[in-house]
Amino acid sequence: MVKANRHPQVLFVLLLLLPAAVALSLAVGRVALPFSVLIDGLAEPKPNLAWLILSELRVPRTVLALVVGATLGLGGAALQGLLRNPLAEPGLLGVSGGAALGAVIAIYFGLAAAFVLAIPLLGIAGALAAGALTFLFGRSGTLTLILAGAAVSGLAGAGLALALNFAPNPYAAYEITTWLLGSVAERDWAQIALCMPFILLGWFCLAFTPRGLDLLTLGEAQAESLGVNLGLLRAQVLAGVALSVGAATAMAGAIGFVGLVAPHLVRPFVGHQPSRILLPSALFGALLLLVTDIAIRVLPTSNELKLGVLTSLIGTPFFFWLVLHLRRLSP
Amino acid sequence: MRLARFRACLALAGALFLTLTPVGGTLSPPGVQPDGPEPPAAAHGKPTRIMSLMLCNDLLLLMLVPPERIASITYLAHDAVEALMPGADRGVPVNYGTAEDVLLQRPDLILAGTYSAPMARRLARRAGARVVEVPATNSFEDIRRVVRQVGAAVGEPERAEALLAGMDVKLARLAAERAARPLRVVAWSGGNSVPGKGTLTDAIITVSGAENIAAKLPDTRYGSFGLEELLAARPDAILQGETRWTGPSLRDSQTAHPLIDRYWRGRVIGYPDAAYTCGLPQSADAAVALRAVFRGLPAESPAW
Repeated sequence: MVKANRHPQVLFVLLLLLPAAVALSLAVGRVALPFSVLIDGLAEPKPNLAWLILSELRVPRTVLALVVGATLGLGGAALQGLLRNPLAEPGLLGVSGGAALGAVIAIYFGLAAAFVLAIPLLGIAGALAAGALTFLFGRSGTLTLILAGAAVSGLAGAGLALALNFAPNPYAAYEITTWLLGSVAERDWAQIALCMPFILLGWFCLAFTPRGLDLLTLGEAQAESLGVNLGLLRAQVLAGVALSVGAATAMAGAIGFVGLVAPHLVRPFVGHQPSRILLPSALFGALLLLVTDIAIRVLPTSNELKLGVLTSLIGTPFFFWLVLHLRRLSP
Repeated sequence: MRLARFRACLALAGALFLTLTPVGGTLSPPGVQPDGPEPPAAAHGKPTRIMSLMLCNDLLLLMLVPPERIASITYLAHDAVEALMPGADRGVPVNYGTAEDVLLQRPDLILAGTYSAPMARRLARRAGARVVEVPATNSFEDIRRVVRQVGAAVGEPERAEALLAGMDVKLARLAAERAARPLRVVAWSGGNSVPGKGTLTDAIITVSGAENIAAKLPDTRYGSFGLEELLAARPDAILQGETRWTGPSLRDSQTAHPLIDRYWRGRVIGYPDAAYTCGLPQSADAAVALRAVFRGLPAESPAW
């Protein structure tokens, strides 16, 4: 790990950029309020417009962008470490698909109307079920895990189409197509509060994996001979990803590319050791999604663009460039 | 919002036509000129097997002609009929906008929408039906034009005039007794597609004596109107399309933001989507109903 000594500097830069992005995120919105008005709003008698916009709309939006971005970055880094596959990401294991299926069932079969927090709850349940299914059929090896993930993704997609077909609402397919593209706009604190415990629990699970992931870079047999319980490691990563990404997807829709790109972007700076990538990747994911969310608010479109549209538009060319770049570097 | 979606539905129906229209065989029954000027109804007698391919035409048709002269209305019509004229579609067959329906039901007149008209015309040659394309309505002037057009096509111009006269009486009454305080309102069912200027909803709100704050959007038809803008504009009331006819949807959770409940409690007004989507004589009733609801609203504005 020759480049590992750069690690603290990258963390430092990311930690400097994040507050700047947060400040920008609080200042930018559909209603243009000068920064001074926003500051005054905190001091004036409440409720006032600036305070309402900040506390009920922009702060939750910013928090959600950070949490979802960090979750995707962390999940991507953990999965790429576990599968030793640079193409791994949360969507690969069917977790995002499962979460989307759960959320759709909650929305279109009246559960959300009866109990407003049913959407995140069922999203988490769907993610857990999909993650468990992937783990059940893919436990015999890394390749099988990827294949099982692909199969479960397909199953979730079919389930989604089936649910939309049976949905009594004729606009279901239209609504869900846009919802799946991802957004963190106009979520309320109660929805965020319900998802947070699950996301934190997922992060907690992943916090126990760095040593095992490091040893796994030597190969599965070598890692096991060094005392790594592979089954436990897989279970920890899958549970962590299912909980955090499942809850995040239920809140914000399926946002692609952040989980794929974030680990790749921090690797040149911190080296290839999985344990050193996890935290920077999470921070970078958070920064990436927050900046994307600021961009869709600034872009003068009649309807706000969806997060997934922009992450894919920006992420794809960069990822292609990265792939070519890596190929040139490798012997 | 609803209108845009209905249009999407209709476009879908149009696409269905495209795929199901028989290829080849352009045999035209003698005497039928599908694309030519419409012959006066009197020349052929009144049409007796009228088929409607658009929800708004369904509703108009049910008001203009007795059920026995209707070949079919669309399967989408039932909920809107229940909302506007309960029971009026009893015993009337439905169609799913497919080519098979047209060929099977052998209508003598097809009332098509903008999106279904080209396909209906192509099909009409084989079915032997006349096609009348009914445009969408975005104002009360549009309503007068369309009601007269359909009335003439189905051979019931007097009935159409009577319906319009009823509408105009209500509109005149609304105009005579202006609302004391013009309320500032917005039709907001989630911020993605809010009707601005040039929409039927805007026309109904204006006639009811209120001001549609979304009419100021630079986007003149449907635009986005986020919660931030809603807070900044602070409307006196929020109109929301009723969802009880369509079943649960994502928009329920979008409209259930705690801010709405906290600051607009008692100021959220449900309205029947159908009367706002389709320009009908009942659109005047919708405006009358809206005026009555506005009267009952608390006088002071939402506080902050």
